[in-house]
Amino acid sequence: MSGQGRVSLRGVRKVFGRFVALDGIDLDIEPVEFFALLGPSGSGKTTTLRMIAGLDTPDKGTLTVDGADVTFAPPGERDVAMVFQNYALYPHMTVRDNIAFPLKMAGTPKSEIDALVREAAARVRIDQLLHRRPGQLSGGQQQRCALARAIVRKPKLFLLDEPLSNLDAQLRLETRVELKKLQRNLNVTAIYVTHDQEEAMTLADRMAVYLEGTIKQIGTPAEVFDRPNCVEVAAFIGSPPMNIVPAMLDGRTVTIEGHRIELGWQPDCLAGPVTVGVRPGGLRIDGDGIPTRLYLSENLGETRLLNLELGQVLIKMRIAQSDFSPDVETVPVSFDPDSIHLFDAGTGRRVEAR
Amino acid sequence: MNVHRRARITRTVVLMVVASALLLVWVLPLIWAFVVSLKSEREVLAYPPNVVFEPTGANYVAALFGDFSIVDSLATSTIVATATTVLTILLAVPAAYAFARLRLPAKKPLGFYTLATQMVPPVGLVIPYFLILNQVGWLDTYHGMVIVYLTFSLPFAIWLMVSYMEDVPREMEEAAFLDRASRLQTLWHIVIPQVRGGIGVTVIFVFLNAWNEFLFAVQLGGNTVRPVTVAMYNFVSVEQTLWAKLSAAALLAMLPVVVIGIAGQKQIVKGLTVGAVKGGGRK
Amino acid sequence: MPTSPDPPVSPSGRRTGGIHAGERRFALALTGPALLVLALTTTFPLLYLVWSSFQTINLAMPFMDGFAGVDNYVQMWGDTRFWHAMRLTGIYTVSSVTLQVIIGLGLALLVMQIPRGQWIFRIVAILPIVLAPVVVGLFWRTVMLSPNFGLVDYLIQALGFEQVNWLGAPTPALISVIVIHTWQWTPFAFLVLLASLASLPPDVYEAARIDRANAFQRFWHITLPLLRPAIVIVVILRAMIALSAFAAIFAATGGGPGTATEILNLYAFKTSFVELNFGYGSALAVALLVITMVVSGVLFYLRTARVADAAR
Repeated sequence: MSGQGRVSLRGVRKVFGRFVALDGIDLDIEPVEFFALLGPSGSGKTTTLRMIAGLDTPDKGTLTVDGADVTFAPPGERDVAMVFQNYALYPHMTVRDNIAFPLKMAGTPKSEIDALVREAAARVRIDQLLHRRPGQLSGGQQQRCALARAIVRKPKLFLLDEPLSNLDAQLRLETRVELKKLQRNLNVTAIYVTHDQEEAMTLADRMAVYLEGTIKQIGTPAEVFDRPNCVEVAAFIGSPPMNIVPAMLDGRTVTIEGHRIELGWQPDCLAGPVTVGVRPGGLRIDGDGIPTRLYLSENLGETRLLNLELGQVLIKMRIAQSDFSPDVETVPVSFDPDSIHLFDAGTGRRVEAR
Repeated sequence: MNVHRRARITRTVVLMVVASALLLVWVLPLIWAFVVSLKSEREVLAYPPNVVFEPTGANYVAALFGDFSIVDSLATSTIVATATTVLTILLAVPAAYAFARLRLPAKKPLGFYTLATQMVPPVGLVIPYFLILNQVGWLDTYHGMVIVYLTFSLPFAIWLMVSYMEDVPREMEEAAFLDRASRLQTLWHIVIPQVRGGIGVTVIFVFLNAWNEFLFAVQLGGNTVRPVTVAMYNFVSVEQTLWAKLSAAALLAMLPVVVIGIAGQKQIVKGLTVGAVKGGGRK
Repeated sequence: MPTSPDPPVSPSGRRTGGIHAGERRFALALTGPALLVLALTTTFPLLYLVWSSFQTINLAMPFMDGFAGVDNYVQMWGDTRFWHAMRLTGIYTVSSVTLQVIIGLGLALLVMQIPRGQWIFRIVAILPIVLAPVVVGLFWRTVMLSPNFGLVDYLIQALGFEQVNWLGAPTPALISVIVIHTWQWTPFAFLVLLASLASLPPDVYEAARIDRANAFQRFWHITLPLLRPAIVIVVILRAMIALSAFAAIFAATGGGPGTATEILNLYAFKTSFVELNFGYGSALAVALLVITMVVSGVLFYLRTARVADAAR
């Protein structure tokens, strides 16, 4: 089946007993995209990936790849390769045989297998380890072996299920970069499941944010970061995530704990309670600002993160080291009007300008 | 040496003495049987028993080459036990995979059925077997005996293998499916190599149980099929028991299983505990 | 809002399935041969057994053969030898299993304390288990328990006790067969419990030590409850074996003297193969079968009830 690796899901629903894993999702993935499925555990992202792989079938809805309906095609009939979270390497085979296995199963002639295996191994730089067994490899090497096994077939779709979660922090950062480069070199559509929003933000061309079995937002990392379309997404994205503070809206004025802030735009929302979102970097130390109580200061090296009590709410604020004075109990804080996001107090949806 | 250390050493010594004494309870009969096998028949009857004597290998020679040689029986036991083991493995391994991993129709009732067949007391089977085999003319035949031996080997083997199969990570099979392997290829290339150890344990247990079987052997066999457990009685008769030769013959007969037992002790202990957790065991 | 479409037919022409299509057929193909053999080798003979328990089948007096209805069972009900055999079966099973567990547990606890050389105990423990029960029975009958020639006899006399006719008198004979069975199978309990003990988490003990629990308290409140599942399994397995134990008793006493060690197993055997009364023997065997099923049912039920209890 030729094609570029365009994936479409429509109305996909999956239920496990009483648990609704996927509640009717729609998704379009462009060819050669690096697409991330981001969300906390149990949100449905892995279930989606498994459906694309063919390891599970939906109860409702369709799945098409390059226009062809593959909703019920078994995994062997799809041109899909997957890297599992625990790698799922075959422990009784050498690295070479692991990588060669999909070729062997596809009936590739022996003469070609060797060259293809070497090529794949070289791409991920484990060509020196072909004779070893998975048990003799380090975690990072095992992961690359799993990668090699996935890419050796030159599949149309390249699925990754939290591939970095078993690596230590340092390795994770290094491998991240390599994964992106690999995808670019191979020119293949990659669908990447993760719960680490930083990973998704740095790797993905576009991403889908999952919460409780539904997709809340689809967009580029910039779009999701700059314009989260609901409170839940806002509270999930960013390290640390956006501060969420209750406030009152009247015309263009937002009132928080008695302090008024003038917005430069007219929100399309009735006067009344509203939810304000502001990133830790959007707060300023201001003598005329809202008094907050400092209960913890985190030294991040280049900057400091202040944990503050604002009324009943806890917020975080980022400041330069030079602005920090120890032994301070109260910090007056003001909100940068241009950094304020508004969300409907009831539905949580983003409030746009009128 | 401080007080605590001395107390601990004393404690360990006492424990070892007690444990060794208890150990003797199990070792002594076997050693004694061995000693008896090295005595002449006359010396055996001496009382009090001689500890010092001239060891002789005559009994072993007699057991192997004498009038009541057990060599034929050793061959029979080997044939029957090996055939039983091979057949059992061929049947049990695929079935265990189906029980452990596949959507088998009526899995629960079938699983319960397999378990239940293990609980049937042998005497309950030897009676109908005798009557049936008699009618069909399969008494005292190798094929008859092996089929009968499957009775206790097969359910146990399935049971044991199911627990090993369940330990194979599902993800590995899923990876194989994604690698375009069919179900059969996955079973052969991926799953079975993973349960190699389990198959080894099962082989040991099945062979052991088949070798040591007595009731079916004595009732359903005859002059052609006379496993070693029955051949023991060559040396026991109404008039007299040929003690020394009996000991020699018995030890020879048990030599294969003892060797397997010692060589495979780790596997056996593993098998006991696995079987103990999931249910099984025979004899 | 448009309703989501129903799953259409896939290129392979299947309405449902995907990865699961054909799985059932494959599963049946894999289990078919084994189940067929099982049916042939157990179910069919069992049905035959039940059928023959309703017949008179006497190879010594073939002219009497024919349908007997429940006569065999009626006879069994009034047969004192049958009840005697039942009693013996109960005594034999309960005492030997109890002994196996207690001694096996004691040994396991003991050996756990020994820092090195545990392997010796493991090897010695393997030996009795791998021996054929018939050989064990013969060994004990001859070189151990024979009056005037056996090792046990010698030791008893050397210690100054009265000589005992181990296999020739009713009560000593029963004791002897129980001892023989216990001797052969205690190592099984020992090995399983030793392995279980070795797998217990050490941190629980460390916590208990810090909480000032002494050795006995640690055993009673921590070790024993944690070992309960293993002990239960051992009891179930050994009980099953004890109920159907045949070869060792046959070799040691043949059921005698008289009927002193004639557990139900042996009674059924003798009736069928010595007296050639297969009809009645079948009935006896069916009785044993029922007892075994009931006992295992009860034990399994207790086990799952215990597990559920522990989960609560």
